[in-house]
Amino acid sequence: MRTKGVRRSLTLVLVLLLLLGAPAGACAAGLAARFERTLGAGTAPTLIKEYGGEYILPIQQRLWVEEVFRRVAAQSEREDVEYTLTVLNSKEANAFSLPGGFIFITRGLLSLIGSDEAQLAAVLGHEIAHVEKKHGVNAVLRQMGLSVLAEVGVAAIDFLSAELLRLAGLTLVQMLQAGWGREAELEADALGQELAARAGFDPAGGIALLDALAQADSADQPMHLFRTHPEPGQRRKILEEKLALFWSEPVEVTSWEVLERLKQGRNSHTGGRSDPKGRYVLEELGEPSLGVRLFDQQIQGHVTWVEEALVRNAAWSPQGEHLALLVEGKVQREVWILNRWGAVVKRLQVPQGTVTAFSWAPQGSLLALEVEGPAGRAVAALHVQMEALALVSRGLEAQEALWLDGALYFRHGESWYSTRPPQMRPVQVAEPVPVVLQRQRVLTPTLIREGNTFRLTRPELTPP
Amino acid sequence: MAASRWLIVLLLAAALCAPGPAEASTLTDPTGLYSTLIGDHWVYQAHHSSPDLMVFYGEGDFELLYFQRLGPVSYPSALAFAQRSVELYSGPGGLEQFELVQDFREIEVAGVWGISCAYAYQDGQGNRLWEYRIFLVLPGGEGFSIAFSDSKPEAAEDPPLEEILRHWRWLF
Repeated sequence: MRTKGVRRSLTLVLVLLLLLGAPAGACAAGLAARFERTLGAGTAPTLIKEYGGEYILPIQQRLWVEEVFRRVAAQSEREDVEYTLTVLNSKEANAFSLPGGFIFITRGLLSLIGSDEAQLAAVLGHEIAHVEKKHGVNAVLRQMGLSVLAEVGVAAIDFLSAELLRLAGLTLVQMLQAGWGREAELEADALGQELAARAGFDPAGGIALLDALAQADSADQPMHLFRTHPEPGQRRKILEEKLALFWSEPVEVTSWEVLERLKQGRNSHTGGRSDPKGRYVLEELGEPSLGVRLFDQQIQGHVTWVEEALVRNAAWSPQGEHLALLVEGKVQREVWILNRWGAVVKRLQVPQGTVTAFSWAPQGSLLALEVEGPAGRAVAALHVQMEALALVSRGLEAQEALWLDGALYFRHGESWYSTRPPQMRPVQVAEPVPVVLQRQRVLTPTLIREGNTFRLTRPELTPP
Repeated sequence: MAASRWLIVLLLAAALCAPGPAEASTLTDPTGLYSTLIGDHWVYQAHHSSPDLMVFYGEGDFELLYFQRLGPVSYPSALAFAQRSVELYSGPGGLEQFELVQDFREIEVAGVWGISCAYAYQDGQGNRLWEYRIFLVLPGGEGFSIAFSDSKPEAAEDPPLEEILRHWRWLF
């Protein structure tokens, strides 16, 4: 009843305003921002209370989180919004945003993210994107049947009663639990990924976060964030498809010097056979063989890893943390990533076609793949940790992938092209504070002298 | 003749029994920023150290010494660095029962002027600890900290850092 009354008076105000001449666009935008801010500020205490209150992070973690937030928020385009971040004291993995720039993340989600700055940037970018796109305020006004007000910039808000703000706040809290709708979530994913990448974070962070959430969800942890959003597989696919856009546009190489270096690189096949840490030496594969044979310098003998697999190619990562194999799978070729002890840590298939060759990027997190598929030949970059693929040749018929000075080169016909991966900047807190350490208690036996004999006593196993 | 022989023997014995200089070793930071002389009773803790953080355990259960490189900082002075740190240590999420027991003082470490202070707090096990800390902003804008802590108030009043600071050399 009361809503109906408010709605009627609103309509009247709106009609009056339209008759009297609506305020200029800039004025309306300013009022809209004020409305958003008032609505968000009024709803924030309810949300904070509902999620266990504000959680104060330890100093070093707080500085790190604030720095990631500052960098991502600095990429926002709305000048009428001031972004703030609050950590909520809930073990549920979740994040929210309220109109007006109020961003929330639970300690449960921070714990899941750990120290992965790309994942943190992805979730913060997603929430900031909701505010940038006014998903919250528009959804509330639509729900209340006031979308026409939204369209004219909520120009009449100064005339609205506190009652309307209260009702809008209640609607906002209810809608927050269900998300802003499929389209809005996908739009926030895309813009969030862009904001994070512009701020110098890996745009594949969102993919890693979705995977981490899926893993935690299957481990029966409360993953509310996961349930209020569109199907994670679809979100992952869309984020992955956009990865290549964060690489620079491929440009033809015209420098004679670079072309000469590429020619030299093409003729050398020595890279990747020796373990950079010096323990193993890969034996020549020649023809595809069962398993991969290595000479272990520590035991001065040969070892064979993955004996069941038909291996076509193998190469050590530049830091020696992983060994990549090109394996003939049952359906198609697979890229296997092994750790230093020969255990398979990842098995990756490339849906776009058959992998014919690969080469590690100097930093060891990316693997360039030469792919042959129905759509022709392409060069892709595989984010090894995230298991995400970026088709960096962008539709060009491409082959022979080579890394040189941090860029990826590939051949298109007789010409060489180069493309660069997104530039990432590690988190550097501008005003850090030193750590405060305490000694870790070590249990040591006590030496007791009894005459001419010495006796060692067991350490006291009492809890500190 | 016999007396002088005895005198020589006595002098030799005295020389042998006299306490020599404390055993110490030269410590050179693996990143090449500083070196100093550090007493052998300080045991290097490889497990808790990193290229930017060198940790030593001393005698007793609580004596702790550590040097930390913080990378580039935007503090305009060592005082601003110290003030911000103390503000965060004493604030929410900082140190339990924090108390500044020695106010900020200027101190010179091998030609670089910094700020020292001392504070007390309670650790997670309920022990009251005292910590003496030096904050430095090195030429080029890098933050650096030297800290000594113990469970005795003397750690704040008279930290045993004299020898370490006297032999401190910057390698830049």
